[in-house]
Amino acid sequence: MSIVLSNITKHFGADLVLDDVSDEIPSGSMTALLGPSGSGKSTLLRIIAGLEPLDGGRVQLHGRDVTTVAARHRQIGFCFQDYAPFNQMTVFDNVAYGLKVRHVPAAQRRREIDELLGLVRLNDFADRYPRHLSGGQRQRMALARALAIKPEVLLLDEPFAALDAQVGGELRVWVKSLQRELGITTILVTHNQSEAMEVADRLVILHEGRIEQVGPPEQVYDKPATDFVHSFLGPLTTWEGESYRPHDLQVGPEGSGLDARIVDVIRLGFEVRVVVERGEVTTWVQLTHHEARQFNPMVGSIVAVRPR
Amino acid sequence: MPRSSRLLRIAVLGYVGALVALPLFFVFQQVFSHGLSTLATALTNHEMDKALWLTLRVALVAVPLNVAFGVGVSLWIVRHPSKLTHVIDTLIDVPLAVSPIVIGLSLELAYAQNGWFGRPFAAWGLHLMFNYWAIVLASVYVSLPLVSRQVIPLLREVGTHQEQTAQTLGAGHIRVFFTVTMRSITWATAYGVSLTLARVIGEYGAVLIVSGNIGYVTETLTLNIGNNFENFTPYQGFVGAGLLAVSSIFVLLVLGLARHRERLRHEYRP
Repeated sequence: MSIVLSNITKHFGADLVLDDVSDEIPSGSMTALLGPSGSGKSTLLRIIAGLEPLDGGRVQLHGRDVTTVAARHRQIGFCFQDYAPFNQMTVFDNVAYGLKVRHVPAAQRRREIDELLGLVRLNDFADRYPRHLSGGQRQRMALARALAIKPEVLLLDEPFAALDAQVGGELRVWVKSLQRELGITTILVTHNQSEAMEVADRLVILHEGRIEQVGPPEQVYDKPATDFVHSFLGPLTTWEGESYRPHDLQVGPEGSGLDARIVDVIRLGFEVRVVVERGEVTTWVQLTHHEARQFNPMVGSIVAVRPR
Repeated sequence: MPRSSRLLRIAVLGYVGALVALPLFFVFQQVFSHGLSTLATALTNHEMDKALWLTLRVALVAVPLNVAFGVGVSLWIVRHPSKLTHVIDTLIDVPLAVSPIVIGLSLELAYAQNGWFGRPFAAWGLHLMFNYWAIVLASVYVSLPLVSRQVIPLLREVGTHQEQTAQTLGAGHIRVFFTVTMRSITWATAYGVSLTLARVIGEYGAVLIVSGNIGYVTETLTLNIGNNFENFTPYQGFVGAGLLAVSSIFVLLVLGLARHRERLRHEYRP
């Protein structure tokens, strides 16, 4: 019981957007399609939903080949980045849309919608119009609307990109716990690596229409399969001709390693970036707040840099 | 209020008043200048009433035709852009740029019995000029862009995400069109309808040519007004003009009210 993508190929005109993409997305998992813009991740999501025709390959949902099945017969919940609220309908009618299409009797419809609005904490907003909602509320409405049809799969296109950092952060935690509670197979598209690692239990890294690596977040982070994945998942810096994550380097007293001169100290609160120069090469080292307190790096002083 | 903005207000009021309100006022002054019983007689003038009825019958067909075309062509232009739709997009504006009299003449040349287009129809016994259908044809032509010019920008702004969401929720194309697409362009369409209605009711030049201006038969209200002035019965002409003005103002008022209520209910940016 899963989503199986086999050899999916897609062109936009002469551009190859997806190049022989294959993956098996386990049932109940939360998978993030992660990649920079133009990597084909949103197109892949739209293909799974049936909103985009494909040039080659197959899509199977729970063993059923749906490659040629129209979006409306796929029973897939889809949320756009802009949430696509039906502006001319109340929150209640937005959520009711899919149930009306399915001719669910009015009494049952009301019961189910009340339950869904409770789930997304919008009970008090049933009679409002979408324009009266905040971004986060709109997103929750879009989720309730998608969940109303009891989909087997939930697809989220950049679900947190349009929200400010704090609201987005709260919603990430909430969406993740909701997904666990419902156990619904979910795929989300994002260009934000920390968001993907926070929410998903499985990453699919896409680059120029090809899958670079698939795996749990910590595995992909610790053992990047390609240079692209290595550089995309977090900042890199060079020390003595090798690339390191800045938090994998440390500074010590002069003479305890190869010496370098501190040229800048950037304090970001929870982390402190120490920028050092050795000859022509600039490197940065990431210290925790605590480490920086103990060591107290000063611009102009000489320190030793070494891998942790 | 600062002095400059007060001056601006006076200037705008004076300009609009001198241009629109005052001349209209004089028409109504003429209408009521001979007393109410004379007005009642003029209002029941058989030829004018026939003309008014013809105008309404033309509008009844021309407006729906224009809405169907306007919405359809807008969807095509916005959703499936190509070189062809680019050409269509430009062609649609021709009726606004070209003088109605030229439109009338070109229609006559094309659709009259001996015209390139009219001849085959005439062979079948179908005459396209100098009758009711000729007036409908000219009316549709002169108001061609009025619906699509309102709808196209809104369709562009609304985008396709709402429609695609409706599809994933299980809705078929027809349901998506009526429950999502049409609902987001309702007020733009209504505005286009009112513009079309005003244009169809008020068109003179093109209709004059293609109708043949036959009294009691192909004489619309605007033609009737013109004929009255030419036949030295100006009072009857003023009454017709007053009637025309009242119906146009009525259309505008109804639309304004409806739009106001709609805006109170939810979002619409015209």
